[in-house]
Parts: sequence; C-alpha cells; structure tokens
Amino acid sequence: MQRYRVVKRQERLGWRSCFVFLVAIGLSLLLSALLLALRGTSPLEGILVLFKGGFGTRWALEDCLLKAIPLFLCSLGVSIAFRLQIWNIGAEGQFALGAVGATWMALSFPDLPAFILLPLMIAMACAAGGAWGFIPALLRQKLGTNEIIVTLMMNYIAIQLLDYLVYGVWKDPTSFGFPMTQTFSDQAILGRMGTSSIHWGIVHCLVLGILFWIFFTFTRTGFELKACGDSVRASRYAGIPYDRLVILVMVLSGALAGWAGFLEASATINRLQPSIMVGYGYTAIVVAWLARLNPLQIGITSFLLAGLRVGVENMQLDLQVPAAYGNIMEGLILLTVLAGGFFIHYRIVMVKSA
Amino acid sequence: MNQEMIIPLLAAAIVSGTPILYATLGEMITEKSGVLNLGVEGIMIVGSLAAFLVAKFTGSPVLGFVAAGLAGLCIASLHGVVCLFFQGNQVVSGLALTIFGTGLANYLGTSFVGISAPGFSAVPIPGLAEIPVIGPIFFQHDPLVYVSYLLPVCLWIFFHNTRFGLGMRAVGEYPEAASAAGVNVQNYRWLGILAGGFCIGLGGAYLSLAYTHLWTNSLTGGRGWIAVALVIFAFWRPGRAVFGAYLFGGIMALQLRMQATGTHLPSSLLLMLPYGLTIIVLVLSSLKRERTGAPAALGVNIEPVD
Amino acid sequence: MRFMKMFALFLAAMAVTTAHAADKELNVGFIYVSPIGDAGYSYAHEQGRLVVDAMDGVKTSYVEAVKEGPDSERVILNMARKGYDVIFGTSFGYMDPMLKVSKQFPKTVFMHCSGFKQSDNMGNYFGRMYQARYLAGMVAGSMSKSKILGYVAAFPIPEVIRGINAFTLGAQEVNPDVSVRVVWTKTWYDPATEKEAAKSLLDAGADVIAQHQDSPGPQEAAEEKGVYSIGYNSDMSTFAPKAHLTSAVWNWGPYYTKVVNAVKNGTWKAESAWPGMDEDIVGLSPFGPMVPEDVKQKVAAKKAEIIAGTEKVFTGPIKDQAGTVKLAEGVTATDEEMLGMTWFIQGVVGTTK
Repeated sequence: MQRYRVVKRQERLGWRSCFVFLVAIGLSLLLSALLLALRGTSPLEGILVLFKGGFGTRWALEDCLLKAIPLFLCSLGVSIAFRLQIWNIGAEGQFALGAVGATWMALSFPDLPAFILLPLMIAMACAAGGAWGFIPALLRQKLGTNEIIVTLMMNYIAIQLLDYLVYGVWKDPTSFGFPMTQTFSDQAILGRMGTSSIHWGIVHCLVLGILFWIFFTFTRTGFELKACGDSVRASRYAGIPYDRLVILVMVLSGALAGWAGFLEASATINRLQPSIMVGYGYTAIVVAWLARLNPLQIGITSFLLAGLRVGVENMQLDLQVPAAYGNIMEGLILLTVLAGGFFIHYRIVMVKSA
Repeated sequence: MNQEMIIPLLAAAIVSGTPILYATLGEMITEKSGVLNLGVEGIMIVGSLAAFLVAKFTGSPVLGFVAAGLAGLCIASLHGVVCLFFQGNQVVSGLALTIFGTGLANYLGTSFVGISAPGFSAVPIPGLAEIPVIGPIFFQHDPLVYVSYLLPVCLWIFFHNTRFGLGMRAVGEYPEAASAAGVNVQNYRWLGILAGGFCIGLGGAYLSLAYTHLWTNSLTGGRGWIAVALVIFAFWRPGRAVFGAYLFGGIMALQLRMQATGTHLPSSLLLMLPYGLTIIVLVLSSLKRERTGAPAALGVNIEPVD
Repeated sequence: MRFMKMFALFLAAMAVTTAHAADKELNVGFIYVSPIGDAGYSYAHEQGRLVVDAMDGVKTSYVEAVKEGPDSERVILNMARKGYDVIFGTSFGYMDPMLKVSKQFPKTVFMHCSGFKQSDNMGNYFGRMYQARYLAGMVAGSMSKSKILGYVAAFPIPEVIRGINAFTLGAQEVNPDVSVRVVWTKTWYDPATEKEAAKSLLDAGADVIAQHQDSPGPQEAAEEKGVYSIGYNSDMSTFAPKAHLTSAVWNWGPYYTKVVNAVKNGTWKAESAWPGMDEDIVGLSPFGPMVPEDVKQKVAAKKAEIIAGTEKVFTGPIKDQAGTVKLAEGVTATDEEMLGMTWFIQGVVGTTK
C-alpha cells in the first residue's frame, strides 16, 4: 500500500524556486483559460491579448510602471510593519492622508518654486500619513488596542475626511460644483521623464527601495527591527526598545503610503478628487506578503500585478470579457502561487507502509 | 429624539446589524481554531448570490438560505486547501479569496441583476411581539433575525460545554500541546474554516433574502470587512459580537435618521461616526484592561511534517 | 470523455473568434464607471450601447468598472490607439483625461457625458433628467398626505442636487406646503444602506420615497411600509408593485444612434448637447394603477409644455433654503447655472455638504 508523506527540504531551493512559481502561474492561467473556453471565448487569444495589453507594447509597459509606483510604495510601507509583526492594514487611509497633506501645501503655496514646493508637499504627505500610522501604534503600545481594527476603521475615516475637504472647503469654484480641487500649479506637479508618460516618481521608488534595503541590512535599528520581528520576547531581554520601534515602524509605514498619495495627487491626477482612492492600500498587503517582504521582490510583484490589471482591461475591450473575470483570474493566480510556495519548503514522498 | 423615534431606531439597529452578526460569528469560529480568514467579504457575496439564485429558481427562501451556507463553505474550503494543506500565508490567501469571490459572484450574477426573488418578510412572534418596547424592538422581524438570536447562544455552549468546542479552542491556543494530547489539529482547523464559511455565507443570504430581495454587484458593500474588525472588537466572545454588530448597525441607522430629521452636519462627518465610535469603544474597553482573548496561535500555520 | 467535450468546445470557441474579421466597420467604444451589473446608471448606458450595436456596419465594445483618474486615461488612450472611431465616456471624472487624449488623436470622435469641456473632436452631452424629475415631483406631491416627501440621494454633486430641486419644484406646483427631506448615502449602489436610508425617511414621516440611487432598495422599503415610491434609471415597478408610482428613466438608445449616424455620414460636429424630453432621452415610466386620472392628465399637460419649451422648470421666483432670492421673477436659469447647481431651494430639508 502506498502512502504520501510530507518531508521538509534539507537544502534551500534557491533559484530553482522560480520553477515552482512558473508552474503555479501556468496552472492558474490554464484554469482561467478553461473559464474563457466555457464562455465561448478563445482561450489562447485571450491569454495573448492579456499579455499584449499588460506587457506587449511600450505604452503597455509604461502604463504598468505607472500603476506599479503607488503599489510599490504602499507595499514597501506595510512590509516594514509586517516585519515587526504589526498588522498595519491602514495603508489605504495613510495614502489618503498623504494625498490630503500634499494637496494642502499645493493649495496653500501655489507660487513657491518647484524645488521648495515639491519637497514641502512630500514632507507634509509623509507627516500626515505618518500621523495616521502613529495613532494606532500609540494606542497599541499604551493601551493594548488591537492595531488591525484601528487601522481598518481609520481607513474609512480618512476617506470621509478627504471627501469632506473636496466636497467642502477645497472645492474648485470653477468645477461646476463637482468634488475636486483646482488643478495644481505647475510648480506643484511632478513632471514626466522625457517623452515617456512615466513621471519621476519611479526614481523616488528606486531610491526609497535602496534606502529601505540599506536600513535593514546595515543600520543598528534595522537589525533590531529584524530581531524583534523574529521574537519579541527575546529582543526585550536583549534590551531592544520594543515600544519605540513599534511606533517608529508605524510612522515610517504611514509615511511611505503618504508618499504614494503625494505621487498620485501631484504627478498622475494633478489635483485631489475622491477617485484618487482605488484600493492600492489593500492590494499592497497582498503584494507585500507575496513578495515575502523583500523590497526587490515587492518591486517585481507590484509590476506583475499592475500588468495583470492593465492587461485585463485590454481583454475586456478586445474580447468583451467582463471586468469580474479579471478579479477571478487575479484571485486564482494568488491562490495557486501561494499554494505553490509549499513546494519550496517541502516535498512529498511516497512511502510503502507495512 | 422621543420614544417614537428610538424604538424604530433600535429595531433598525438589529436589522442592519444582523448580516454583520452572522459574518462576525462565522469569522469568530474560524479564528478560534487559529485560522485567520480575511476572505469574509468574498465569501459573503458568493453566499448572497447563491441564496438569491436558489430562492429564485426553487421558490423556497429556506433552500436559498441553506445554499448560501453551502456556497460559503465551498469558497472557504479554498482557504483551507491553501492554508492547511499547502501552508500558504493566511493573510494573502484570505485577501485573494475576497478578490476571487467578488469576481466570481459578479461574473455569474450580472445577468440576474434587476429581478427580484422570493425572500423572508417580517413574522412577529405571537405573544412576545406585543410586549411594549421590547416587542417592537426584538420580536417583529423576519425569521432569519430570530435564528441569529440563537446562534451566539449555541456558539457559547459549543465553545464552553462541548468536547469539540474545547478541542477547537485548544487548537487555536496551543496547537502543539493539543497535538501532543492526541487532538488532530488539522481536522479541527478544517472544522473551524468550514463551519465559519457556512455562517459567513448565511450573512450574505440575509442581505439578498431578508434585508432586500434582490441582488446587485457589491451587495455586501464592505460589511465583510466590518465583520473582521468586529471579531477583534468582540474579544473573540460571542456575546460581545452581538453588542458590536448591533452597535455598528445602530450608529449607521442613527446617522441616516439624523439626516432624515434635518441635521446641518455634513454627511461626510456623519459617516465617520460608526468607525470613530468603534475605535472609541475599543479604547474605552482597553482602558479597563479587559483581556482581549485573541487565540494565541491565530494566523500561525502548523507544519505538516509528521 | 468530459475532457474531450471540453476540448471540442475549446476548438469551437477558437473557430468562432477567428471567423468574424470585419471590414470597414465603425468601431464604437463605451467606458463605464461601474460594472453593468450595478442595475442603474451604467446599466442604462449599456442598454443604449446594445441599440447601437444592432445598427448595420457598427461594432461596439465596452470597458466597465473603470475608475476615474489615471485608470480612465489609460483606457481611453488604449481605445484611441486601437483605432476606435467614436468613444463615449460616461462619467464626469473622465472629462480631463478625455480632453487630454482628444488632442493626441484628432481623427477620433470623443463624447463625454455629464461634463462641460469640449475641443474640436470632443463633444459633451447629458440628458435633462431634471425635466422628468419635475414631473415625478408632481406625481409625488399629488399623492402625499403627510406633505413630507423622502429623497434618498447618493452624492451631493450638481446632477443630484438639480434633480432634488426639480423634484421639489414639481411637488410644490401641486402641493405648495410640501417639504422634501434628503438623506445622503455616499454610495451609488449599496441596496441595504439605501433601503435603510429610505426607512429612516419613512420613520421621519415621509409617505412618498424618491431616489437618486442605482439600486431598487428604497422601493422595497416603501412597499413594505405600504406607502408610495418613485424610481430612477429604469422602470422599477417589479420591485414595488403596490408602491411604485412611476420612475424617472434614461433612454440613451435614440441619442447614441443619432451621434453614431452623424459620425458615419460625416456630419458630426463637436458641441454641447443637452437633450431632454423633446428627444425622448429622459421620461417617465408607465404610471402605477393607484395614480388617479386627473394627476395623469396634469402631468401629461405639463409634459407637453416642457416639450414645447414653454415650461423651463427653473424659472423664478426661486429662493434658496435661507430665503435668499436666487432667481428673480420670470428669470430662467441658464444651462451653466443648472450644471453648477450646489444649493437647495426652499422646501428641501437637508444640507448640500
């Protein structure tokens, strides 16, 4: 009689884990293709249109990068908190506050030169986003209030706050009453790179990503954070100031999401309006975990996920596939990739039982 | 605010709290076994569609209600496969489930938008419904509300007085110790995920069979996320979940009523109320240093190696 | 066996998609802000698209659930690059992205719904829904005994505010002391919350419920309470057979057909089009059996006046909530004033914030 047993792999798979990933993606694409065939759409054409729309042309790649930028920063932000096992699901609200902070500066000092105004907007965005991360951290450390619920509730509050501002005091008098601020002055707009549609935010992402890596690899605080993430109790014995670290990571986490909010408001929309909120903060959680909290992998994952979403639009247009199909596909890919991760750490062997 | 306003308000609090209550209790069962399932929103919407379609085509809301539970159970089982069998990260798996479930429901359901199906309507309980104040608040609702009254009691008894319930709590608190004592950890966790998914699906059914008698995209409107938050708010205790769900539903109903009676506050500020008050109540109970009661092994996978 | 079946299906599907290579067709693209399964606004536009799709020599496609902002710019660009001849963007927030893209693709025709900007190859359009709202208000005002009407509304934007004001004017026309209470839900389609909002209005004494929401949730609330209701977007009578008086409905088919024909014939010019009842873009769905004959006649007479252009709805004297005169005796609001309306008239209880 044959039985299956799960055995932990002795040596790490290293680069070969790519195969696991590819097989998982292949499986989910196969499932998605089956779904397409069931509704009478050609599956091969479908997958082709998807890839062409997401990665096939220069425009597609640019669109992908544009969409990946806010996703990357939000994920980077939440990943800092997750490293310390702080469950910050408030990136959405911190992003909103960042956009609000940046807009406040852009509307208050529209005539400052760009080299002063843009840094000022970034600073305010980070401060506002950071403050939105500071509150749940403080409540958590002082009162033991659970951060998941506080960050989640504060997302809703942040969105209502943003609404309140754009429906009220910040409403553009020339917008015919529609909820949006004035277009920012030229100095408050982060420009695009050369002839491409990509704005300079991509450079911000690169720099921040590298700083993030340096911080965790070379600094003392970075090391302490890693240690705390592994074992809170052990690190407390080692004299690491846990409370202060929690507050620090939440503020940093919020500041990065706030930075993303600044980029969206300044570079892509050029104003503040309610539709700036498209759920990057929630998607960021998925990205951060899929990427195992590693900055390079966060970059790659953000890009791939952005490509998937852009590609699905192309499928909608060319093949009349409903938007919901994109969600199904995304869900399937995430689930199979996640399940596939199992084979990186374990293998299944067959044993003959007596 | 006089009595004529307050009684309908409290009755409304119960009705709008009920779908959240079902989902909160479902998530609580799952979390008690040590598994975090963030897919509540996705499971709920699939449940609501299943309930609607089955009620539509069989003409029986009761069958629809059961179907919603089964559909919820099926979707939740994906979470079980990924997290229990393949050791996947519970946070991502749950979020993926929300994306998948929402997509699936919208994909299958779009052609059924704009029609109505048979559902439950209010059935006052003879005798109890005539009690002044209490009657109109608690006993003039649809049958699904009455079922939801019994559910927390059943859960409490289950967790405290049955072998299964105690085993499940042990698995959520000290899986290693439970395993050493001969408890099959994986089986209990499966039970937690499936039973939880069933309950969450019922919450979806409440929306499409009782609260309204129709189905549209995003019928759940974020209630699944509220349920996730309320489990924590309730300190993993069924009784407090009832309080949390009705409080949340009540404040939502209150802010709408404040508008209806002509307040001058901006609607954005009123809409912050339910969320802000949830935080405040949580902070107040933290001040009292209540034990939060989170299962110690929540979100931690158990290695399958034997 | 099962697998073979699947495979056959798979092959058949491939054959179908390669078969319909089209020549010289007019490609028309639509962009919707919500999924067509919202049962309301986007659904109404989708019905219009289906009419266009049935025309000879026209091929249509759509992208749904496109968020305003950068996502919409990408989708519009993508359509333009693919050589779509006409692109309809059906949400206010698509205005600026569309304007930007229209300059890069001067040969493509862009049509933006509900905005106010235009260029050489971008026109804008909307329907005078307020005319239908006014008539619906007359019906509601005639049927109300408590003199309180409830209005469940989505977001405080001019389109919605204009509708509430027109509804109130219509109700006041037949029932001068009537007041309209407004509850904002801050959601376009969340049936449960919208139903709860309607219930709160009923508890506050309203005996007719109107709505500017996509879902029929408020209709159900009225039906259960045994009072009357006015629907929106499409005929909502199936959800409240005993309560439903009428619905203010969109009918995009004729207008979209007209635009596409104009493009085909080469007669299209960028303009700001705001058709109303005269072109049948907006209207009332059939009355419920409880609406008395004299009310029907009054409404029919008013409708004729609106079509003839003698009734403009927003003609003074009109005061705002504070009693300030906004439109003096005999003055009619300009289209700009109506497009940018952010204040409630006297008789509305609620705030536009």
